[in-house]
Amino acid sequence: MNPTPVVRLRATGVARAFGTEQALAGVDLDLHAGEVHALVGLNGAGKTTLMRLALGMLRPDTGTVRVDVGNGPVDPVGAPSATWRHVGHLIETPFTYPELTVRETVRSAARLRGLDRAAADAATSQVLAELALDHWAERRARTLSLGNRQRVGLACAVVHDPQVLVLDEPSNALDPAGVVRVRRRLADAAHRGAAVLVSSHHLDEMARVAHRITVLHRGRVLGALDPAGADLERQFFDMVYEEEDAVADAPTARETASTSPRSAA
Amino acid sequence: MNAALGVEALKLYRAPAARVATAVLVLVLPAVSAAMVAVARSDSDSPLAAKARPMLIGTGWDAYLGMLAEIVSVAMLLAVGIVLSWVVGREFAEGTVGALLALPTSPRQVLRAKLVVTLVWALGCGLVAAVVAIPGGLAIGLGAPDAGALRATVRLLVVAVLMTLLALPLAWVATVLRGYLSGISTLLGIVVITQIVTAAGAGGWFPYAAPSLWAGMGGADAAAAITPVQLLLAVPVGLVGAWAAAHRWQTAELV
Repeated sequence: MNPTPVVRLRATGVARAFGTEQALAGVDLDLHAGEVHALVGLNGAGKTTLMRLALGMLRPDTGTVRVDVGNGPVDPVGAPSATWRHVGHLIETPFTYPELTVRETVRSAARLRGLDRAAADAATSQVLAELALDHWAERRARTLSLGNRQRVGLACAVVHDPQVLVLDEPSNALDPAGVVRVRRRLADAAHRGAAVLVSSHHLDEMARVAHRITVLHRGRVLGALDPAGADLERQFFDMVYEEEDAVADAPTARETASTSPRSAA
Repeated sequence: MNAALGVEALKLYRAPAARVATAVLVLVLPAVSAAMVAVARSDSDSPLAAKARPMLIGTGWDAYLGMLAEIVSVAMLLAVGIVLSWVVGREFAEGTVGALLALPTSPRQVLRAKLVVTLVWALGCGLVAAVVAIPGGLAIGLGAPDAGALRATVRLLVVAVLMTLLALPLAWVATVLRGYLSGISTLLGIVVITQIVTAAGAGGWFPYAAPSLWAGMGGADAAAAITPVQLLLAVPVGLVGAWAAAHRWQTAELV
């Protein structure tokens, strides 16, 4: 029998709109310690919004989000430093400044994430080696390729060995070797007990690294894919098209109003 | 807070905008002041000499450092305003603000660190400009600094502090409008409004004009008419601006 999973992040009925755009419409999601949980979906599915809500960068209109790094579940909005000390994230733009070197950038991220100077220096050297960034360590970030900037951003996210890791498409600009390194780093993190929430468009890549895959579309969870299953892409599009068909078939309020009298007649 | 101070200090130290502003404040301003005083004290009947003479109040070191204070009253607001707008607004323009959230270092601490390093840099520039002014005065033949020099140096430093404080609300503007260009645009608007208010004769009670008038920008009579209360209006303006920016960083959805 599997032991009860330790929930590190839980979203319950989370909804969020931006003006008239409903980005999330009642999402439930659990993230467990020791697992890589992949969020897949098309552009605009709500993946980034869900991650920002999980990190307290946005507030839900309805529903709740709770993060638990071992001190009990807390609302990420206004969560204490003790919580954030154990959380790492890379959401869209990485923590890179053109005027700083790669080493200075990662060390700055480590300091802001609560490590003292000595620990930050040691952790920086270690993560630069793990992600094969030593060669660029003394280069200014402005000279890096997009893929290497993304790798630096990942180094900043993991430098303090977090228990909860939230990564939004961390490998979308990487070359194949970089993708493998990121995959290995995520697997190592999960193996050490971290809970990893990662979004991607790349189903094959997620199948290789994820323990669970959740499909998000139009701000709703459509279901889960088995990472060991066959032809994930086909399963994914079946889910998405089924939802699209359901949306297209559903009568709008206006149609309902205009057709109801005829139906009655 | 210490971590944020270190990170922000490193970013400012490496910033080209801060380096250019530093050179202007500590080298160009004393040099321009010395040149203008030298021209004004000469027998020249050039247009520059004709314009420079009315700007001098008093004689010797008092006049020279007073001239520097007049120039600093404008240049300090522009330099600190531009640098502070960039320091805060770049996080929005470059998209890095999200990477500064969900950290043990709170958003408020990050913003405070930005304000503190900018303040320390600006006041350091003011002090160094006052020191650099000494060889400038000696070079134009003012002789050894006298008691008037000390008085004028204090006035110069007070003007530098007040104008630095008056730039702080631009941190709030750059936050609310999500970029450094909006802060710089607002700064230009402040300069224009200051000119208009001063021309209308109400500059004494306009915080952005009072330090310049006290430094002598409007002549000796206008300088003498400025009261300590009018000068100190810069303090609440700066503090409220800084508080509003910090509050916004801590409570608003910044992404």
